[in-house]
Amino acid sequence: MARKTDAPPVNITINGIDLQVPKGELIVESVKRLGLEIPIFCYHPRMKPVGMCRMCLVEVGMKQPDGSVRKMPKPQAACTLPASEGLVIFTDTEQIHKDRKGVLEFLLINHPLDCPICDRGGECPLQNNTLFYGPSTSRFVEMKRHAVKAYPLSKHVTLDLERCIQCGRCVRFTEEISGDAQLAFRHRGAEMQPVTFELEEFTSKFSGNTIEICPVGALTSSHYRFRARPWDLETAPGICTMCSNGCNVWFDRRKGKLVRINGRTNEAVNEEWTCDKGKFGTDWMNNPRRASDVKVRRGDGFSRADWAEAYAEILERFREGGHEVAGLAGPMLSNEDLYLLRRMFDETFGSSNLDHRMTSVQGPAVEPPSFTIEGLEDEKGAFVFGASLSDESPIVYLRLRKAWYRQGARICVATSRPDDADAFAAVSVRYPQGGEAEFLRSLVAELRVQLEGGRSFGELADLASTLLETRGPILATESLWNLDQAGEVLAQLRLAAELLGVSLNVMALGANGQGAEELGVRPDAFDRTGLGTRQILEACADGRIRALWLAGVDPFEAFPDRSLVQRALENVEYLVVQTALETEAAAYASVVLPITAPGESDGSFTNVERRVQAFEKAVDPPAEAKPAWRVFSELMVRAEPRTPHFSAREILAEIAREVPAFQGVEWSAARDGGVLLGARRPLSRARS
Amino acid sequence: MSQSPDTPNLRFSAKAVAELESLKTHYPNLKACILPALWIAQREYGGHLPPEAIAEVAHRLKRSPAEVQGVATFYSMYNTGHKPGRHMIEVCTCLTCSVCGAWDVAAYLEQKLGIKMGETTPDGMFTLHGVECLNACDRAPLIQVGDEYHGPMDEQKIDALLERLRNEPESKVVALADALVQVHLKEEEREKARRAAEAVRN
Ligand code: SF4
Ligand code: FES
Ligand code: FES
Repeated sequence: MARKTDAPPVNITINGIDLQVPKGELIVESVKRLGLEIPIFCYHPRMKPVGMCRMCLVEVGMKQPDGSVRKMPKPQAACTLPASEGLVIFTDTEQIHKDRKGVLEFLLINHPLDCPICDRGGECPLQNNTLFYGPSTSRFVEMKRHAVKAYPLSKHVTLDLERCIQCGRCVRFTEEISGDAQLAFRHRGAEMQPVTFELEEFTSKFSGNTIEICPVGALTSSHYRFRARPWDLETAPGICTMCSNGCNVWFDRRKGKLVRINGRTNEAVNEEWTCDKGKFGTDWMNNPRRASDVKVRRGDGFSRADWAEAYAEILERFREGGHEVAGLAGPMLSNEDLYLLRRMFDETFGSSNLDHRMTSVQGPAVEPPSFTIEGLEDEKGAFVFGASLSDESPIVYLRLRKAWYRQGARICVATSRPDDADAFAAVSVRYPQGGEAEFLRSLVAELRVQLEGGRSFGELADLASTLLETRGPILATESLWNLDQAGEVLAQLRLAAELLGVSLNVMALGANGQGAEELGVRPDAFDRTGLGTRQILEACADGRIRALWLAGVDPFEAFPDRSLVQRALENVEYLVVQTALETEAAAYASVVLPITAPGESDGSFTNVERRVQAFEKAVDPPAEAKPAWRVFSELMVRAEPRTPHFSAREILAEIAREVPAFQGVEWSAARDGGVLLGARRPLSRARS
Repeated sequence: MSQSPDTPNLRFSAKAVAELESLKTHYPNLKACILPALWIAQREYGGHLPPEAIAEVAHRLKRSPAEVQGVATFYSMYNTGHKPGRHMIEVCTCLTCSVCGAWDVAAYLEQKLGIKMGETTPDGMFTLHGVECLNACDRAPLIQVGDEYHGPMDEQKIDALLERLRNEPESKVVALADALVQVHLKEEEREKARRAAEAVRN
């Protein structure tokens, strides 16, 4: 809800207890202060109240001057009732219990009551409210409304219209939160349907959230449908790995297998939302192409090996390999994996040829991002440059949209292609592909002109003036390193940031891309000099590098220059592929080491705003798979006697000691909400 | 914002575009303009609001087509179902009219036109509908055709009315939509729209 903290307090009474709440607070929220609960369906704390379902009825009275209470003749909806001085609320009277029964009886008239075969059964607000407050039998003997069962709105979302209680949560989500407004109510009365225009595909990038907020089983996940009953599920907290935003999620398993991912509340990161990529991206866990055995190349094929055999072979090639060996690291490796990977390369292999960047060029290090996701809400604006945030950084996108929707923030967008953010941007500007540097040069020039009191005409001038008025952070992504003139683009962005007096944030894209930067998984970190990704691949292709280690990355997928990758992998003498899936690169391997997929081991990621978030093992890995850090630790021990690492926690503690940026990071804090590096604003803003 | 990113087929005439531009200035935002814009569309699309018409309104008002379809299907006077006939005959079936013989009127119409309530004659001439109180109970049983009220009705009057309507080439459905557009406009805005239409003709 809109933050009401600055509203003056008013005195209200709930069930005879006096309390002070900010003026205008909705009564449905005020009762929570007393630990009470009012049953609801349509109300959702993150969306505007609409009072559609009438489940939240309360009796309302006003204190009279003589101290008595005059009750209003009819009950009121608590979700649309703002607190005002002298308001007296009753949530537990006989009348209210009767009213709730009545509302539920009406809601159930057309509800099919197919709970025994409904995905929602067991975690259904309609079931729960009926159990607590509803009638135990129905007096309705007439024909129920019938409608289509299991209509596929998209490949993710299936609509069971009969179950819908027409609360409008899904409709309001697409209008208020995701902003695509793809769902709307068609027709009216009992015929009302929450559907897309002409039943076209529901293509929202955030559609999965509607499944979670539907208070009945009307919107169900096409993937999870009939796969489990909620009471058979075991759940564990986790961090999504599909992008750098680091959404907090629940991993729901049935018989040890991941069947569903739901959003987990973290006000500082994803609130409670997830994007569809994350929510439905469960494939990697149950993928039939899972790499589960240690394999070594023998002649033309592979044969199964044990770890000791593989380690011996690898050490022979890599130990003291110096500049003849190199490594590439993937975006889903944890902080712990990356830290030990770098130490292994430094200490055991004596090589600085290690990189995690998969962009076309690898430039010098950029200052780390300094915005916070939650902090975006307080900005007067922001400047999105060259990024499609709804795809690349969906949670940052939702926050920016929220800043606009709630506080009228003026977002500026400059991209080469139309973008989803255009829908709410104050200014959207297009530049031709390849014209990024030139565009920024003109923008910087215009900023200078305007700072001196002048002004040109056209959209560039509008952009510049809006930027000068709002002075919000500049948001770009690491994909700018794929541009031809990346260096110049960055220089101009820095100039613009300087002129505006704002932060420049080059956001990482991979789940732990920021962690890799912080931990120095790049050839130039900590005063070392080695080869970057492109140079490593080139050196493999022409034989200067003889052994390459691919740690959780398939360069065929990740690196833009496929033919270079092919030449590199064909020509390098020895190739270690450490992977969770049978990737294309694995076909070229000398040895394949299975690693755990995210969620199958403990660890931590550093997200786009430099928040370290720890997670614990949620799912059992395939028998042979090991966390990457364990492999690195075991190899280092084999190379020379030392104390091995036993757990991810222990490694994180070591990182906190050894890497200055991580100073003070503790496992438990990283697990419960996360820890911001650089300690800018460690605490989530207190909300009333 | 829109679900189909590609521009839909736009069919509004120059006059309609001018009218819509004027209407937009009447409201604080484009969302508020959906209802009158749908009336324009209903006129432009021959008394009917097929999905294409809704997509066009959504496009012109920068709203999502789902939202506009939601609004259009909520109100019964927007013809979002099948294409109506040239004239729509609406028989009031509410209390006073019922008592005064509305159902006899309805039955006679059904028999005479060979269709049931809610249907359209095969020649596309008439559509028959039952409606709630038309707020002219003093003339019960009442029939509405476009912007005309007729009542109290009996069989002779129905015969005469149908005969007259058959010979009327202008669609009463379109006429009603146009009338509803015009009441939203100021005189100078109507003039502007007329000039826009003329400019195209010349
Ligand atoms: S589908 Fe669910 S969320 Fe949407 S209106 Fe129906 S009950 Fe509410
Ligand atoms: S929760 Fe208040 S009316 Fe639905
Ligand atoms: S009941 Fe028919 S006009 Fe009122």
